Amino acid sequence: MGHGLSAPAAFAAEEVDSPVLAIHSKNAWNDHWKSHKDSSKLMVIDFTASWCGPCRSIAPAIKAMAVKYTDVVFVKIDVDELSEVAQQWKVQTMPAFVLVKGGSEVGRVVGAKKDELDKKIAQLRA
Amino acid sequence: MAVPGFEGFEKRLELHFSGYDPLGLRRLSIDDLQQVLDAVQCSIVSAAGNHSFDAYVLSESSLFLYPHKIILKTCGTTQLLRSIPSLLRHAADLGLRLRSCRYSRGSFIFPAAQPFPHTSFSDEVLFLDARLPATLRFRKASIMPSDASLHSWHVYSAAADLFSVLQPSSSTIEVCMTELDCSLARQFYRRNGDHRSGDDAGAEMTELTGIGGINPRALVCGFAFEPCGYSMNGLDRDRYSTIHVTPEDGHSYASFECIGGREVMDYLKKVVHVFRPGAVSVCMGVTGTDDDEERVRSAVVRALEPLGLSCRSRAAEDFPGAGTVTYQTFTAHRK
Repeated sequence: MGHGLSAPAAFAAEEVDSPVLAIHSKNAWNDHWKSHKDSSKLMVIDFTASWCGPCRSIAPAIKAMAVKYTDVVFVKIDVDELSEVAQQWKVQTMPAFVLVKGGSEVGRVVGAKKDELDKKIAQLRA
Repeated sequence: MAVPGFEGFEKRLELHFSGYDPLGLRRLSIDDLQQVLDAVQCSIVSAAGNHSFDAYVLSESSLFLYPHKIILKTCGTTQLLRSIPSLLRHAADLGLRLRSCRYSRGSFIFPAAQPFPHTSFSDEVLFLDARLPATLRFRKASIMPSDASLHSWHVYSAAADLFSVLQPSSSTIEVCMTELDCSLARQFYRRNGDHRSGDDAGAEMTELTGIGGINPRALVCGFAFEPCGYSMNGLDRDRYSTIHVTPEDGHSYASFECIGGREVMDYLKKVVHVFRPGAVSVCMGVTGTDDDEERVRSAVVRALEPLGLSCRSRAAEDFPGAGTVTYQTFTAHRK
């Protein structure tokens, strides 16, 4: 076992080129929202909280889905960091995955329900 | 019948801690949680959390994690008490101190199928006594009777202080229902050729059966098992609710549990309406004076009598750190 070997991507803490984009500011969110409306891609907004165990439990599965569905945009929003955005999308229970296309909500999964989320993404990405 | 069916009656464990960390138990990593559940032989099926607590639907029941309280409720032949050593270890690592422990269950439909230490209540009590720290000085174990010798409510409680840790304005209600109406129980079977996820099928069961209407404010995570069976956790502010259904004829069972105020009697009525059981037991954890205990018992009777359920027995006992536990059994007039 050489020290030079790095862990597989799925287990790295916060990779710079992670397929899930973490949004930390209102400005970044506004910019992102604008560019979303101009594209035809499905976007999955993952609302999480640092104190929410269920969010942590599904994080690896979300990363895997982001790698699998290259034509879908995945963003992550912390409900404490961007509480206004969380309120705007009426998020009270987490994790909450809001699926948006062309500026409108087309689907939502509340809770760490891996299979349901995967199925919804597969259905709505076209 | 020599072969036992699936045991619906759950074993329930509630631990209270104290500590300075406002997040407390919610800091437990998924790996640590899974390790605790491995000891019990169950796994996480779905999960959700809000500002107050995390709720997990398990392969065999539910887990609720508050910062200073954990409720673990498992059915089948799970070895619930085996979770205690690793739970206590993880809590200690988080700087939390155990204040009280309450273990309770009804009577198993298939007692011979239970593994050690669930082979008998005395085995369970000995196991608990040996594994809880000496700081929990006040201990009591009791079997609360009903009119039918086969059905009792078993309670073990250990606490560092005599007084209850329950909030005075809320009570915990645990409802166990058997002999479910057959046609209503059939709604909890998966249909042939239905390849949807357990979450999807569960969500449909929640709506079609009326479970979603019990507390419309709650966010409900329902899950439908193959080939039958259903579990749900509800989250409403800091209040959890949970329902588990074993629909098989001959040993059908459904449970409902939640924490709340007066509206709990309303939920009780709606739940009985969903399952139309032949027999019901209602257990309540009450804090306060004897007045309250009598008021609660009458309220339960007032809620169930109009639904055709007659009260067959009533019992009440005080337990250290758990307040007063009342146990009432009812049977339907048609039987």
